[in-house]
Amino acid sequence: MNEAVWVLTLAAAVSAGTPLVFAAVGEILAERSGVLNLGVEGMMLLGAVTAFLAAAASGSPWAGLLTGMVAGGGLAFVHAFLSVTMRANQIVSGLALVIFGTGLATFLGNPIEGNPLKPSVVDFRVPVLADIPVVGRILFDQDPLVYASWVVVGLAAFYLTRTRTGLALRACGESPETADAMGLSVARLRYAHVVVGGLLAGAGGAYQILARVPSWSGAGTTAGIGWIALALVVFAAWRPWRALLGAYLFGAALAANFALQAAGVNAIPAEFLSMLPYLLTILVLVILSASSARKRLGAPAALGVPYAREER
Amino acid sequence: MQLRLERRLEKTHAGHRVLVTVLSILAALVLGAVFLSLTGASPLLVYPEMFRAAFLSWYGITDTLAVAIPLILTGLAAAVAFRMQLYNIGAEGQLYVGAILGSWAALALAPQLPKPLAIFVVFLFGAIGGALWVLPPALAKAWLGTSEIITTLLLNFVALYLMRYLIFGSASFWRDPATTNFPQGKPLPEEAFLPVLGLTRVHFGLAVALLAAVLLFVLFSRTRFGYDVRVVGDSPGAALYAGISVRRTIVVVMLISGSLAGLAGAGEVAGIAHALDPAGLAVNFGYTGIIVAALARSSPFGVVVVAVLLGGLQNAGTALQSIPGGGGVPVEVSFMLQGAILLCALAGELFIRYRLKTRQSVVAEILEPTQQKSGSATTERAQP
Repeated sequence: MNEAVWVLTLAAAVSAGTPLVFAAVGEILAERSGVLNLGVEGMMLLGAVTAFLAAAASGSPWAGLLTGMVAGGGLAFVHAFLSVTMRANQIVSGLALVIFGTGLATFLGNPIEGNPLKPSVVDFRVPVLADIPVVGRILFDQDPLVYASWVVVGLAAFYLTRTRTGLALRACGESPETADAMGLSVARLRYAHVVVGGLLAGAGGAYQILARVPSWSGAGTTAGIGWIALALVVFAAWRPWRALLGAYLFGAALAANFALQAAGVNAIPAEFLSMLPYLLTILVLVILSASSARKRLGAPAALGVPYAREER
Repeated sequence: MQLRLERRLEKTHAGHRVLVTVLSILAALVLGAVFLSLTGASPLLVYPEMFRAAFLSWYGITDTLAVAIPLILTGLAAAVAFRMQLYNIGAEGQLYVGAILGSWAALALAPQLPKPLAIFVVFLFGAIGGALWVLPPALAKAWLGTSEIITTLLLNFVALYLMRYLIFGSASFWRDPATTNFPQGKPLPEEAFLPVLGLTRVHFGLAVALLAAVLLFVLFSRTRFGYDVRVVGDSPGAALYAGISVRRTIVVVMLISGSLAGLAGAGEVAGIAHALDPAGLAVNFGYTGIIVAALARSSPFGVVVVAVLLGGLQNAGTALQSIPGGGGVPVEVSFMLQGAILLCALAGELFIRYRLKTRQSVVAEILEPTQQKSGSATTERAQP
């Protein structure tokens, strides 16, 4: 493999990992508040289809991004309503979100199936930095949303560890009783962070259609990366910076197909290369649970448990 | 006046539960109507047409039943695991692998066997395929505590690519050598065809599915194992003290769940497609099974009823495309409505577990503690 190919591969890994960055950071915020939202795949897919429709209608990818985020946030609001207000089983509610989101997205996307999207996101070379050998090509010759994802990660990390609301959020996820006794509104915090998680998942889905895949192809547009993002949250131990690193690792697996074909490796059938990210994710989850079976490192203690003041 | 939720202490009537479910379905139809209108279709035309296509003709009803067959099996697959608070959402992939092994048995073994035995072998291999596919997540869950939700789901994609590889990616045993330009599955020998009801698409898989529902009902309500499953699901700690092997129970329940999904796959290849047909199999039977189980509250007979209802919805979605009155409504309308029904049913669930009270009535109860009902509730709670 010559140098140019592996540099291009790593650059592709960064781009492939970017939807995962958005979705995983969003899920980290939701889960830190104590709400498990398994509906990431549904929010991403709805975000992708609405982003396509809005971008095609307005001619602007940014309008697409915004619409995709709103759609993801809207779907997340449904989950917040079901799991916080209605105290439904969060696992079942999350699954319902995936099924409904996928159904609605494929329904809305039926007329545009296979259509290419004209106004996509254009790459932006960061001056000076992009001229650094190798690193410049991998990190600083990307589209603006890649840079935006770093800002999101930085903000989320700062917010979680250095702000008062971030502290309140973590209290809410570790011990909602304590947060309640402190005078914090558990319901309000959970609603807010589940919805923000949805906005970010919607952004991830929008990125997928605006920058990654050439056309809308139904549920195959996201092809399970929402689930990979969920696994990534566990891998990252609920920390944004680790999620960024993990996302590029999984992005490399997603981009491996491209890399091996570019390198002229035809011995492995394309279908097996496509299985790679899913198998890698499963392997990582199994290894993580084997090594931290006793402590569930970093998981918010009240994750997935509905909170009702009168029943504590 | 302020509203507040209060947990119901007594068990709700079956009639109350059915009413809530019916209301949830109505609410979902209203929600669906909003999206139908958004795409320019008229719900007032589409809904009656869907109902007619699914239930009001002999052809429609039998097709609905044919779609319900795999849904009963995947619904039971999800329900078995739900009973133990396990979430096997890999029925989709287990169905594919069941179809792969089932069609292998049909191609390789069935020609040498008498028909009844051939059909038995096809279903047997289908079940083995589903069970094999769920085994790694089951073992990881039982011994390492790995969440089975993500692992079972991700294996769906792996199974899908495996099935595509066998037909599109290689000159495998499953591929029809006669079709090189547009690859297809090799036609199964007639010995493996499931008997059908008259000229309809309702095949012998219906009997298998109904038998599975009865067996599961007996297993859960009449056997020691069924009791163990409930104990492990409600309280793994208590199960440990009672001498129940939690690990063994997890693995066995997951294997039962996987083999049910595998049976669905075998039924589809031997009863409908008569070949391994990736496009025909990948129509969300596994995911819809989760909705079936959730709406049926994991009751085996409930699964049968709900599977027929959702089968009708899926069948109607397909039929709408070819009907002039369908107005170009895409087949995905049924998936959208199924998802909406599940969401609304979840919200409705609250009214089964809780009752809605106004602040005034709560105050009244405190002021008059001698009231019969609240009095008995307090003594009940006071007991250790």
